Amino acid sequence: MTHQDTSTSQNIKYPHWQREFEAALLEGDPQTLRQRVDAAEAAIFLRSQALVGSAQGHAEQQAISDAIRTLRAIQREKLGYPDWNKK
Amino acid sequence: MAKKRVLLVDDNSAVRSLVRQLFELEPDFEISGEAENGHDAVEKAENLKPDLIILDLSMPVMTGLDAAPLLRKLLPDTRIILFTVQEGSEVERLARAAGIHAVVAKNQAASKLILQAQVLLASVKQEYHPAKLRNAS
Repeated sequence: MTHQDTSTSQNIKYPHWQREFEAALLEGDPQTLRQRVDAAEAAIFLRSQALVGSAQGHAEQQAISDAIRTLRAIQREKLGYPDWNKK
Repeated sequence: MAKKRVLLVDDNSAVRSLVRQLFELEPDFEISGEAENGHDAVEKAENLKPDLIILDLSMPVMTGLDAAPLLRKLLPDTRIILFTVQEGSEVERLARAAGIHAVVAKNQAASKLILQAQVLLASVKQEYHPAKLRNAS
């Protein structure tokens, strides 16, 4: 799983969604993991809406893309979601 | 004019709630139901017979790509929009192959989802009433 620029607990660069994302990364309880992933996804969705049309925020967009890939891997590998990109 | 019925399919209840709020601002649409995975969507679509299905891609039990062909077979006139965080030509290609009518990324303006819904449902109207449209022009 890759999550460059998104996982420095002490140094939150993107407060709108990074705390929720890190909570999902660090969650050890499988019962709670789904809730954490959902919360991170919702925070990312809201933040993405806020960034629409913004000339700034390229680095954050890249961090969001990395976070989405990581969340997808968590869903597939830890939560048992089926893989939509079966090759 | 009758409101267009929309089925929302997303495993994330927070995202469903946000999209519901978005559609409820539009006078032409009503949310007729929600489903939390592809399998749930197929079951609910059979009863609800929506005009439009907003379908997430990555979901437990059954993905949006696996659900779409079943939904198309069940409700051939219903339009399907894949509403996903995943972007790119591969997603577009897979969506087209699954019979999905349009892909809207979740990082695009939410208004694009509404716009795409309006465009797709307008195309259904044209298919159903070609004579009426010809007379009107």
